[in-house]
Amino acid sequence: MKTHFFRAVLLLSMAGSAAFAAADKEPTNPPPTLKDWQAMAKLPDLGGVWTPLISDQVAQERTNPPPWKPEIAKQVEHMYAEEKAGRPFPVIDHCFPTGMPSYMLITHNAFEILLTPGRVTLLGEGDGNRMRRIYTDGRPHPPDPDPSFHGHSIGHWEGQALVVDTIAVLPQSYLAVNEAVGVPNNGDMHIVERFHLLNAHTLADDLEITANKLLAKPWKTTRKYVRQRAQKFDIVEGVCEQGSYNDAVDKDGNAIFAPIKFHNGVPVGSDSK
Amino acid sequence: MNQARMNQTRLKRSRIRQGLGAIILAAAAAASWPAFAHHSFAVYDRTKTLTLKGTVKTFQWTNPHCVVWVLVQPDGGAEPQEWSFETTSPGVLTRGGWTRNSIKPGDRVSVEFSPLRDGSHGGGLNSVTLIDTGQKLSASFAASEKPS
Repeated sequence: MKTHFFRAVLLLSMAGSAAFAAADKEPTNPPPTLKDWQAMAKLPDLGGVWTPLISDQVAQERTNPPPWKPEIAKQVEHMYAEEKAGRPFPVIDHCFPTGMPSYMLITHNAFEILLTPGRVTLLGEGDGNRMRRIYTDGRPHPPDPDPSFHGHSIGHWEGQALVVDTIAVLPQSYLAVNEAVGVPNNGDMHIVERFHLLNAHTLADDLEITANKLLAKPWKTTRKYVRQRAQKFDIVEGVCEQGSYNDAVDKDGNAIFAPIKFHNGVPVGSDSK
Repeated sequence: MNQARMNQTRLKRSRIRQGLGAIILAAAAAASWPAFAHHSFAVYDRTKTLTLKGTVKTFQWTNPHCVVWVLVQPDGGAEPQEWSFETTSPGVLTRGGWTRNSIKPGDRVSVEFSPLRDGSHGGGLNSVTLIDTGQKLSASFAASEKPS
């Protein structure tokens, strides 16, 4: 009996140590060292606020459209016709994040690039302050990441360029060329990007988008952003759903939001009832 | 089209609209519109620029689109019409010199806009001029195209 007892205790303590050892091997984010912070100072100057060069987006739409598969091209043609007729397809009519790759392709809103040890973060302004997280700490993609609007992104520095690899974007996330023309990527999309400065105040994002359910072949395109150092370009809070509500007061005199009525996405009347 | 003829055309349209207005409002009350607040500006006819004068009823300074509601007094002493003019987000407007107090209820304004294609009382705002001070506020992304 005693031998069994001691054997059980021994086995339990070994299992406990094994579990502890396994916990030891769980990946962690180590605290940045002084060396890590000093290395940040040598990175290309990609940090700060950028606004999209919308005139270039419009030109690119014309001169470099995606190589759509024939059945997708039919849908796109229909969307262009509807846009012209004043019935734009609701690419951005929900209040979800625009998602990848449309965030980089069609945004009209400013975003800030934040450089910190082990990661690069894009903090957007529209649609709930959309956030892209790019891990630069050398980690690989997880074997089976949860799909998300912006996907799972890992990046590394190649000279003056940040090279980013993105997978696991939700199939519902649009590949859009403007706010009225876009098709859900339908899954299995892979995006490689190269962020680099064209000059002191212009940032380029060279994208290569592979989306086998939409595109006949991988699509290469570039979008440009303009540097904004003036404080009036500080990123502000942007809650998409707030526009659906008016400031109102409830029966107890409390400040509340009351829904606005819409017709075709346009507010009707200024009464909150 | 010269200004006088445009005014005449607008008046004619507004008289027709007043008749229809009651019907449309009743329909709106009955239906439940989808609460989509974010959309392409293709609903507006951007090949046209019209101007209307009126008094500000409300100014909504929120994402994703700011909205100015203006009461327009048609000739002939009929009921004032309520027009809604949409523009871009507070973030973008701030860079163009707007604040949330730039436009207040009761301000007399002249609005330049691209009209809704279906002819209802709304448009995409290009600029607002405050009649009493002469200040002109433009809604454009021009500030964002240059570095600062």
